[in-house]
Amino acid sequence: MTADKFVPAAPRPICDAPPPVPPRRHGLFLPAALLGIIVLGCLCCELFIPRDPTYMDLRFCNVPPCRDFPFGTDSMGRDIFSMIWYGGRVSLLIGFAAAAVSTLAAVVLGSLAGLAPPQPETLLLRANEIVMSVPNLLLVVLIQSVLGKPRAMGIALVLGLTGWMSMARVVRTEVRQLRQSEFVLASQCMGGGFFHVLRRHLAPNFLPSITYMAVMNVRAAIAAESTLSFMGLGLPPEVISWGSMLSLAESALTGHQWWIILIPGFFLLVTLLCLTALGNAAHGGVSRRHSNL
Amino acid sequence: MRHNALLLTKKLIIFLAGLLALSMAVFCVSRMAPGDALISYYGERAEKMSPDERSAAEARLGLDRPLHVQYVRWLSGAARGDFGISFMYKTDVLSLIRSRLGNTLILGGSGFALIFFLAPLLGILCTRLEGRWPDRLICRLGAVSGCIPEFWLSLLLIALFSVTLRLLPGSGAYCVGKSGELADRLEHLVLPLTVVVLSHLWYYTYLVRSRLLGEVRQDYVLLAKSKGLTPRRILFRHCLRNIMPSYLSLMAISIPHILGGTYIVESVFSYPGLGTLSYESARYKDYNLLMLLCVLSGASVMLCSSLAQAVSRRIDPRMRDGTPVSGEARNDG
Repeated sequence: MTADKFVPAAPRPICDAPPPVPPRRHGLFLPAALLGIIVLGCLCCELFIPRDPTYMDLRFCNVPPCRDFPFGTDSMGRDIFSMIWYGGRVSLLIGFAAAAVSTLAAVVLGSLAGLAPPQPETLLLRANEIVMSVPNLLLVVLIQSVLGKPRAMGIALVLGLTGWMSMARVVRTEVRQLRQSEFVLASQCMGGGFFHVLRRHLAPNFLPSITYMAVMNVRAAIAAESTLSFMGLGLPPEVISWGSMLSLAESALTGHQWWIILIPGFFLLVTLLCLTALGNAAHGGVSRRHSNL
Repeated sequence: MRHNALLLTKKLIIFLAGLLALSMAVFCVSRMAPGDALISYYGERAEKMSPDERSAAEARLGLDRPLHVQYVRWLSGAARGDFGISFMYKTDVLSLIRSRLGNTLILGGSGFALIFFLAPLLGILCTRLEGRWPDRLICRLGAVSGCIPEFWLSLLLIALFSVTLRLLPGSGAYCVGKSGELADRLEHLVLPLTVVVLSHLWYYTYLVRSRLLGEVRQDYVLLAKSKGLTPRRILFRHCLRNIMPSYLSLMAISIPHILGGTYIVESVFSYPGLGTLSYESARYKDYNLLMLLCVLSGASVMLCSSLAQAVSRRIDPRMRDGTPVSGEARNDG
């Protein structure tokens, strides 16, 4: 943009232009396919894993990847290749269950806050703010110690219960815009209860805007599970998941056993990346109008 | 003037009430949770105590009273500035926190400053070169770095730089006996700081980028361009100015998140900061320490969200009619 700034540009409609660049859909194929392979592989892992993932064969501790053990073995002599697929089940399950819990909580509480008259609404908002102000890690530790022994579903519940706040805010904003609309008023006048209005009138309208956050919640829950298990607050090493596999990583650091750190982390990362890509696609990109700059 | 004072008092009352509710909630939950607080004080010995010794020890620590009595006791102590002793470290909680606060502020503060300056720069770069390869590269890299779990990134960096290459220290905030030396501190800061910045930077860059991309599609940009302004001038003088209120208030909200959100990084690098401390206190039920840490972080979150409102009200006239900033705080660990 130097000399040509006074040259009249070709006439271009200022708005309502047809999208000059078609939305790129082909970028979605790779993440969807990868995620599909990972999910399918984890679900049907019994069909192809060569060894029992929980069997600790102490003759083969810390074996680097070789023909017998494609991904090597960990410090307890378990086959990492089998553990990846078997443990992925737990990780994915926790991710999806936690996202389901948090989405449900966010939808119900967010709509309640959005529909409530001002006073209770401020109360709900304040409560939300207070819960958000506790560091998430502490909250998880607290809830988990109440629930007792760490189990996969318990962790999913904990992560779900700590992950709904920011989504609830979005739902509340959407509902506040919707609640004045005629169809909501009409439904309420005809005696529709809270859950009826929520299901039939509110949810279909704000679903598109929270799909992205729901996918991101899956991602956050999977990452949080691995972090918790890594720090010794989540699943114990006997319960196989990607996170608990990584909890052996610190001892592997000093022993230069790179495969114990790299391989589960790589699977974790690929899953998270695919989920991000899918979430972004659900979100819809930036508008395709030309930049005015 | 009177109106302002009234508003301030109201805010103060809400703030104190929030803190009270928070402390009550943390108090109840932490005491109701199963687990033995005596272990944090007496260590392994607690398991071998006879019932008599146990009850004597509990009485000494004041743990035998009913819950509400304990809470009132804690509250009256806290009002006088006495937050009790840490069971694990056997020292005054305040002085313990004071000794660790500096380390966390160094790590979190420098991380925050870096993110604060880098995010708009990268965002502007992306907007200038929208759709070209640097923009796409930054977005790709950002998506990856935003996805990597912090602890794994830390592990990778430690494995690469301290175990294999032996270039940088992988744990602690300083070598033993060298706590005063700047070079040593900086050396220890490099890896944790990298993780903190990499894991947060993407989010803020992306935010700036998407806001700016929305902004350059506005009609006033076309007008400015037809007046003959250079793209750089339009971007810096007009577009950036328009997104600054939301950026600044978001940054104000995120102060506690970045400053205190270094738990994981701190504990992987065994960096002696508040993060490690709060992790330990939650794990081993060091009640007094846990309470103070929670109240402190709660206070900082509430303060910063008021700060965010004040900032945006100050610099953005549109915000003055009382609509609060809706902060999309991050929520991932």
